[in-house]
Amino acid sequence: MFQLRWVWTRMAGTHKRYVFALFSTAVLAVMSLGNSMITANIMDTVFYPLQETGTVTPEAVRQLGWLVALLIGFVLVRTSFGYLSVMTYENCSQKLIYQLRRDLYKNMQEQDQAFYGQYRTGDLMTRLTGDMDMIRHAVNWVIRQLISCTVMFFTAIITFFVADWQMALTMLAITPFIFALTLMFSKRVHPLYVDLREKLSSLNTAAQENISGNRVVKAFAREDYEIARFDEKNREYKEANKTASLLWLKFCPYVETLSQSLSVVVLLVGGAFLISGRITIGTFAMFNGLTWTLVDPMRMLGMHLNDLQRFFASSNKIIELYYAKSTITTRPDAVKPKGRVKGEVKFQDVSLKLHGTEVLKHVNLDIHPGETVAVMGPTGSGKTSLVNMIPRFTDASSGKVLVDGTPVRMYDLKSLRSSIGIATQDVFLFSDSVDGNIAYGDSKMPEEEVKRFAKMADVDFAEKLAEGFDTVIGERGTGLSGGQKQRIALARALAVRPSILILDDTTSAVDLETEKYIQEQLANLDFPCTKIIVAQRISTTKRADKIVILEDGRVTQVGTHQELSQAPGYYREVFLLQNGQEAGSERQVV
Amino acid sequence: MARNRFDVDENLETPFSIKHLLRAGTYIGRHKKKMILSLVFSAISAAVGLIGPLLVQRGINVSVPNKDYRELAILAACMLASIIISLLFAIARSRYMIQVGQEIIYDIRKDLFQHLQKLPFQFYDDRPHGKILTRVINYVNSVSDALSNGIINFVLEIFNLILIAIFMLICDVKLSLVVMAGIPLLLVVIFLVKPAQRRAWQDVSNKSSNLNAYLHESLDGMKITQAFTREEENGEIYDRLNQNCRRTWMKAQYTSNLIWVSVENISTWVVGAMYLVGLCTLGPSMQIGTIIALASYAWRFWQPMLSLSNLYNTFINAVAYLERIFEMMDEPITVDDAPGATELPPITGGVEFRNVVFSYDGSVNVLENFNLNITPGESVALVGPTGAGKTTVVNLLSRFYNLTGGQLLLDGHDIAGVTLHSLRSQMGIMLQDSFIFSGTIMDNIRYGRLDATDEEVIAAAKTVCAHEFISQMEQGYQTQVNERGSRLSQGQKQLVAFARTLLSDPKILVLDEATSSIDAKTEKLVQQGLQALLKGRTSFIIAHRLSTIKNCDRILYIADKGIGEMGTHQELLEKRGKYYHLYTAQVED
Repeated sequence: MFQLRWVWTRMAGTHKRYVFALFSTAVLAVMSLGNSMITANIMDTVFYPLQETGTVTPEAVRQLGWLVALLIGFVLVRTSFGYLSVMTYENCSQKLIYQLRRDLYKNMQEQDQAFYGQYRTGDLMTRLTGDMDMIRHAVNWVIRQLISCTVMFFTAIITFFVADWQMALTMLAITPFIFALTLMFSKRVHPLYVDLREKLSSLNTAAQENISGNRVVKAFAREDYEIARFDEKNREYKEANKTASLLWLKFCPYVETLSQSLSVVVLLVGGAFLISGRITIGTFAMFNGLTWTLVDPMRMLGMHLNDLQRFFASSNKIIELYYAKSTITTRPDAVKPKGRVKGEVKFQDVSLKLHGTEVLKHVNLDIHPGETVAVMGPTGSGKTSLVNMIPRFTDASSGKVLVDGTPVRMYDLKSLRSSIGIATQDVFLFSDSVDGNIAYGDSKMPEEEVKRFAKMADVDFAEKLAEGFDTVIGERGTGLSGGQKQRIALARALAVRPSILILDDTTSAVDLETEKYIQEQLANLDFPCTKIIVAQRISTTKRADKIVILEDGRVTQVGTHQELSQAPGYYREVFLLQNGQEAGSERQVV
Repeated sequence: MARNRFDVDENLETPFSIKHLLRAGTYIGRHKKKMILSLVFSAISAAVGLIGPLLVQRGINVSVPNKDYRELAILAACMLASIIISLLFAIARSRYMIQVGQEIIYDIRKDLFQHLQKLPFQFYDDRPHGKILTRVINYVNSVSDALSNGIINFVLEIFNLILIAIFMLICDVKLSLVVMAGIPLLLVVIFLVKPAQRRAWQDVSNKSSNLNAYLHESLDGMKITQAFTREEENGEIYDRLNQNCRRTWMKAQYTSNLIWVSVENISTWVVGAMYLVGLCTLGPSMQIGTIIALASYAWRFWQPMLSLSNLYNTFINAVAYLERIFEMMDEPITVDDAPGATELPPITGGVEFRNVVFSYDGSVNVLENFNLNITPGESVALVGPTGAGKTTVVNLLSRFYNLTGGQLLLDGHDIAGVTLHSLRSQMGIMLQDSFIFSGTIMDNIRYGRLDATDEEVIAAAKTVCAHEFISQMEQGYQTQVNERGSRLSQGQKQLVAFARTLLSDPKILVLDEATSSIDAKTEKLVQQGLQALLKGRTSFIIAHRLSTIKNCDRILYIADKGIGEMGTHQELLEKRGKYYHLYTAQVED
C-alpha cells in the first residue's frame, strides 16, 4: 500500500482537486439512484392513478410537465457534474504523470554509466511507458471505481438496515465470504502481474535490440532466427497475459455465485417474511430493486483489485527508478573553476576496479596545459577507462585524478564536464541535422561558427548532402560512413572550445590524408587546449608531445615518438609493424 | 519520405476509413468460431439471466399469497440454478475473449515484426528507433480489447437495440418514433464531434510517439549528453514533448467525454417527450399500460446507445493506433526475393561487377559504370577518401540495396535473381560499429552459426585472439554483456564481432573497418590466425591502416564514382598516384 501513499505525495499541487474528484465520485454514486427515483415518482403520481381514473386532467399534464422538467434538469446537472468529475480526474492524473515523467527523465540524466550498464534501454522504456500508464490508470480509474463501489455498497447497506435489520443482516452474512475470496485472489494474482511485467519488459527489449541491431541481423541473414526469437517472447507475453486474466475466471464462479445469490436470499427470506407478515410488499420491492447496488460493488471489487495489483507491480518499478542514486554526483562542498580551466591533468597512483577486475593499476601521469598526449596500448588495456576518469564517467577506486591541481571529485560536475570536449569511441549521433549535432554542446552557436568547426574536422562532405548542414541524419548516424560519423563527433567536441580535448580513437576510420589535415588543424587551434588522444595508428601518435603506453592497466612507457621508436618495447614493435616490418628488422623507414 | 526527427509528426495522408477495421477483421476472422460461440454464449447468458425477475414475480403473485414455503424454496433453487447457468456461459465467453484478444495482438505483433525484418536499411535510417518500438509494443497492446470484447459487445448491443426497437414498435408506433427521434439528434452530435475526435486521437498517438522516440534516443545517447552537459536543454525539450502529450490527451478527453454526456441528455429529453406525448394523446387508441411498458423500454433502448457510444470512443481510439500499425505493415519492401528467385548454390567466391550504377536517392550517383572482376580466393582491399563509396561497394554485394543499373554476379549468378537468404548466408560481413546483443558472449559469437558447438565458438574466438580476454572474465564465455556491450571495450567488441563473422563460415568475407579499434599487435596476430582460414575465400577489406591492406592481392583506390587505381601494393607504389600519396602520408615525416 505504500505505493498509493507514494503516488499521493507525488500529487502535491493537485491534492485539493483530487479530493474534490474523489468526493464528486461519491456524490455521483448516490446521484446515480436519482433517475430511477424520479421515474418511479412519475409512475406513482401520474400514470398509476390514471390507470384507475382513466381521464387525463390538466393538473396531471402540468404535474408531468414539472416532473419531466425536473428529470431533464437533474440529468443535465448530473452529467455536467459527471463531466467535470471525469475531467478533474484526467487533469490530476495527467499532471501527475507529466511530473513523474519530468522527474524521472531528470533522474535518468543524472545516472552514471554503471546504471546504464545494468538497465537495458528496452527495460527503461517499459517503465517509462507501460508502467507509467498503469499509474495513470490507477489514479484515473481504479481509485475512482473503488470509491464508487464503496459508497454504493454502504448506501445500500444503510438503506437496507433502515428498512429491515434482520433481512439486511441475512444479506450481509454472505459478504464476508466474498471479501475473503476476493482478497485471496488478489494475493494470488500479484506474482502473476509481476511476471507479466517482466515478460513485457523482455518483449520490449527483444524488439528494441532487433531494431537497433538491424544491420547485423541482415548481414547474417538471421531474419528467421530473429522472428523465432521474438515469437518466443511474444508468445510468453501472451501466455502470461492469459494466465493472469484467467486466474480471475477461476475465482469468478464462486464470487459471482455468492454475490448474485443475494437475489435468491431476497426471494427466499423476503418471501418468507412476506408470508409471515414481517415486511410489506413495498419493502420487498425495495429490497429486490436495490439488490444490484449491493451486488455490483462486490462483483467488480475483484476486477478493481486486479488492476490495483498491476498498479503495485508497475509502481514498484517506477519508484525504483525514481530513487535510483548515481554514485557520481556533485559534492555539496564542490568548487567551480575560477575562469577558464588551464588544462593540467594529473593521475596520482590511480587504480580502478570494474566488475571485479582491476582495469587500471597505480597509474601516475602528468599532463601539462596545452600538451598533446597520445595513449596507446593493446585492446582492453584500459585506455578508454583512463580517459573516462577525467570527465568523471567513472571514479577512481583509489588514487586521485586532478585537473588544474584540484581533484576532479571536488569540482562541480557540470563545470568540470563543460571544460572538456570528448569524442567517444562508439560514436553516437542524434537524429538531428548535421548542424544540430555539431552544435550539441552549445545549441545557440551561430551557423558560421558551426561551419568553422566543421571545417576543422573536415566535415566538408556535409555541404554535398541533400540539404547541406540542415540534412537530418539517422539515429546513431546511420546512413553515414564510419569516418564521416567520427568527423562530426570531432567537430562536436571542438565546438565547445574545451580546455581539455579527449579523442578516444576518433580518427580510426578516417583516411590518412584527412587525418593529416585534421592533425594540422588540431595543432593550430585558436584556444588553449590540452589534447589527450587515444589511438592505434602511429600516424596519429607520432606528433604528440608525449606518448603513453598502457599495457594491462599499467603505464609501461612514456616518451616522444623519437624516444620510443628507438627504445625496445610495445611502441617500437607497433611502429615497425605498421611500417610493414617485422620487429627486429634492421631497415628503417623513417 | 524525408528523414524523421523525434519532433516531427508523421501525418497520415489517408482519410479515415473503415478499411482499417476491416483489415483488423482478417485477424479476428481467424477466431471466427470462438467469436461466434462467445456471441451465442453471451446471448444465452443474458437470456437465462432474464429468468430471475420472472421467478420473483411468480413468488410474489402466487407463492406468498398461498403461503407456500415449499414452492418458494423451489423457486429460490431455480433462481440459483439460473444464476449458475448464466454465469457458466458468461465465464465461457470471457475465457474465449481473453484468448482471442491475446491471440489477435500476438498475431498482429508477429506480422508487424516479420514485416520489419524485411524492411531495408533505409527504413531504419529514416526514423528514430523509438517510433518503431512504440508501434510494435505499445500500440499493438492498445488495440487488444477493442478487437475482442469491443467487437462482441458491439454486436450484442446492436442486437439488443434492434430487439428492443421491435418490442417498442409492436407496442406503439407513434411513441416509439418519439423515442427514436433522439437517434438523428445523436448522429448530428457524433457527426460534429467525430472529425475533431479523430484528429485529437491521432494527435495523441503522434505526440506519444514523439515523446517515446526522444526518450529512447536520450537513453541511448546519455553519455554524450552528460559529456556535453546538455542535460538542462534536453530536459526542456523533453518537457515540451511531455507537455504536448498532456495537452493533446486532455483535448482528446474533452471531446470524447462529450459523447456520453450527450447520449444521457438526449435520452432523457426523448423519454420525457415520450411521457408528455403519450399523456396528451391518451385516449381510445392509447392505453395507459402501453405508456408504462414503453417507458421501461425507452430507458432500456438508450442503455445500449450509451454502451455503443462508449464503444465508439474505444474504436476511434483503436483505429488511430491501427492506422499506424498498418501503415508500417504497408511500408514497401524494396529489397526482396525476385519472383521465381532461385537458391544460390554454394559459391566459390567469384565476383563480377558489370557496369554497375548506384544511387541512394535516385538523383546523385555514388557509383557509375563500375566494372570489376574478382577470382575466387582473391583478397581485395578498398581504400580511398571517406565517403567515396567503399562501404557502398561491399553493401551491394549482399544486396542491401538494389542496383540502379548494371549487374552484379557471384560465380556467374546474378544476385538479383537469387534468394536473399541463400545469398547473405554465404557472406560474412563485419561492420565497424559492431552491435552486441544482450546475452552471454558465447551466444553473441554463436549468432554467426546457430548450431555451432561450444568448442567451435571457442576455436573462432581463439582465431581472432579474443579467447584470452574472454577467459579472463570471471564467468568466461558465460559473461553477460548487453546491447551497449558496456563490459567490453570497443576493440574487444570488434574481436567478438569478428569471431561471430568467422564462425558463420562465409564464402566471401567483408571486413568494413572491422579492425580499426584493435591494436596493431593484436591485429597482426589476428591476421596470422586468419591466413589459414582465408585460404580459398574471397575477401574484401576496407581499412586505413596500411599494415592491414598491404598484403592484399589487389588494392582498389575508390574515388570519383569508380575505381581510380587498381593493382598490388608494389604496382601502385610504382605508379606514384593517389595510393602512393596515401601511403607516404603514413610513412613520411
